[in-house]
Amino acid sequence: MQNHPQTTEPLVSVLMPTFNRPKYLSQALASALNQTYKNLQIIVVNDGGQDVTDIINASNDLRIIFLNRKQNYGKAFSLNQALAEAEGKYIAYLDDDDLYYPNHIELLVNALEKNPDCGAAYSDLYKTYCRILPDGTREILSKIVEVSRDFDRYFMLYYNHVLHVSLMHRKDLLEKTGPYNENLNILIDWDMTRKLVFFTDFYHIPDITGEFYSSIGQSDRISYQQRRDKKNYANNVLTIRTTRPPKPWPKIKDLAIIFISGLFDQQAAKTIGRIWRYTFHPYKIYLPITPEDIAKIRTDMPNLIFVPVAPSADTSHKIDAALMQADAEFVAIVPSDFPVKEMWLEDQLYALLDSSDQMHAIEFDSSTDQLLAAVFKKEHLYYARKNFNHLPFRQSLSAAGIRIQKLLPEQIPFKFDALLEEATTEYKNGNWPLAAEIYQHIADNYKNQLWMKSLAADALFRAGRYEKASQLCRRVNQSRPTVDTLLLEAKLKKKQKDFLTAVELLENAQAILEGKNLVWT
Amino acid sequence: MDITQSKKEKTEESKTTQHYEILKELGDCFTALGNYDSAQSCFEKAAPLAPDEAAPYIGLGVIATQKAQLEDAEIAFKVAARLDNKSSKAYAGLAMVAQQKNDYKHAFDMYLKSLELDPDNLTALLGLFQTSCQMGSFEKVIYYLEVYLDMHPADTHVMFTLAALYMKDNRPEKSKQLLVNILSLDADHKDAANLLEEVERSIVQKSQKQ
Repeated sequence: MQNHPQTTEPLVSVLMPTFNRPKYLSQALASALNQTYKNLQIIVVNDGGQDVTDIINASNDLRIIFLNRKQNYGKAFSLNQALAEAEGKYIAYLDDDDLYYPNHIELLVNALEKNPDCGAAYSDLYKTYCRILPDGTREILSKIVEVSRDFDRYFMLYYNHVLHVSLMHRKDLLEKTGPYNENLNILIDWDMTRKLVFFTDFYHIPDITGEFYSSIGQSDRISYQQRRDKKNYANNVLTIRTTRPPKPWPKIKDLAIIFISGLFDQQAAKTIGRIWRYTFHPYKIYLPITPEDIAKIRTDMPNLIFVPVAPSADTSHKIDAALMQADAEFVAIVPSDFPVKEMWLEDQLYALLDSSDQMHAIEFDSSTDQLLAAVFKKEHLYYARKNFNHLPFRQSLSAAGIRIQKLLPEQIPFKFDALLEEATTEYKNGNWPLAAEIYQHIADNYKNQLWMKSLAADALFRAGRYEKASQLCRRVNQSRPTVDTLLLEAKLKKKQKDFLTAVELLENAQAILEGKNLVWT
Repeated sequence: MDITQSKKEKTEESKTTQHYEILKELGDCFTALGNYDSAQSCFEKAAPLAPDEAAPYIGLGVIATQKAQLEDAEIAFKVAARLDNKSSKAYAGLAMVAQQKNDYKHAFDMYLKSLELDPDNLTALLGLFQTSCQMGSFEKVIYYLEVYLDMHPADTHVMFTLAALYMKDNRPEKSKQLLVNILSLDADHKDAANLLEEVERSIVQKSQKQ
């Protein structure tokens, strides 16, 4: 029986909620217990599912803490319950049907210990497609690395690119983020990773250190079923996007949206609703309106701050009143009929955030002479209004030396994603040489090298450029062989009539697919 | 920027799996290396993993043909053609079986069908050439060789074959043109040089007769 070993290595708490999957739990648990890194505390929480006591006892390992709850309260509750027991410096996660490879914990601990500026680290995982056989066992069909993205803080606010099973973070960060949100029934992992980006950088290790499973045809994952309910999905996304962990936020600049309307009418309500729906950067909306209008408004929208102003207040006065209350580094001025859509604000905001230009603001396309709609650094706007409030709004900015500009093409953020989309479209249209060129350009200029080089090699193969594809594929496989890239290199060797090497590569791919690299199978 | 669930779900719907792909590719490579037992085992495992795919049956047909098990080969190629009636390889396989059974007419028709589906199928093209020789009829094979050369204008092997056929078909001027082209691409092509000499003699003789 194994206990906590005597060591100076930091303790890692592995959180394992389980619900009605005893068939796979023992393998998942074995993968945690058989780590090369031994100083572990494995907290298994039965979330009111089938009894798994026999499986826990059969493991015969004192590093396991078993919380055997009879009631089903959901995954977020289970994780919070496990966190209450966690004593580790670091927290790791493992679902009851997933797997760690033996070096998973060791790699992540080393990364965090060597990079103290990063409070979180993550690796890559295979998404393992399988067919469930009548006896419940899984027939493995494909193992694909679907997500291998270098850390991108702003992208994380929009979409989760860190798989929870691949994540390890410092436990003390939870004092800042708060616990898991038990009101969510899906995407609870994204809610946590999103909150973590307010406080820390993430370190990406592009090694494959585990697997998560997806059965073909029908997914047994609860989250998959709930994602199919679009309304439920949208509600969860909105809740996550409007969550603001307690300040201070060392890694995220806050945004105040000052919403200017004459009367608070239907159009204004509609625009605010669209802001709620489409904005993913953290924000609060400041609404300078009359007390009479405030009294009429019934809304459950979060982060909406009413700023009472006199009925006679003009636009400049409304902005000044809101500005006095705004607790944010950046300010967006938005009129009530503003056309809000996807990325309506983040393009301008992130361009400004990345800018080294001291005194400028970025104007929205739909800005008018009557009302300037733009994003500002709050200190600049505050300076202009404090010193030149006798002037109309636009003139006060000029007087303060604030240069207003439209967004320039080279300032548009998320270039990686735009190029990736462009390359993917070319690939789908059969324009493989161009797709390969774009993938290679991304690899050379926008990080995510292994991922992009793999895509470039595949596009070159389809374009019939076997020699170049072969060279690129070899380099990728020397760094990180995957089933896909080994298969591709084998096809290239076959084209070049090197059948012996092709067989060797295919047998390597087959070994990975069959899990022959896993010590406990 | 649009990364959505639906994009990922598409992967699940992908027609074949890596398990299938690996076995099929291994089957092809073992066949090329002459290791027919291993190849057969791979194709037999691959077939049920992608029941709609013709490729494993084509692989099994090729192995059976190599082992001279013509009945097994014919069954395998027929299954392949039923699964994918646009498979040029399946019809080329059926043609090869017919050719080995000395049923040249059927072989000729199957090679033609194979070439209609893929004019680029070199096995079918050469098979058509062989059966044409066996049947003594060159009209269709000349047409398909011309089509092939439109797509592969520098394939000197096929150019040479066509030049020889033009000669047999009593069209020495066309043959000469092709042979000159071959020699401009490959000055050391001795067969082309020799045939060119013969063709030029034939042209001279022809003009003297006239």
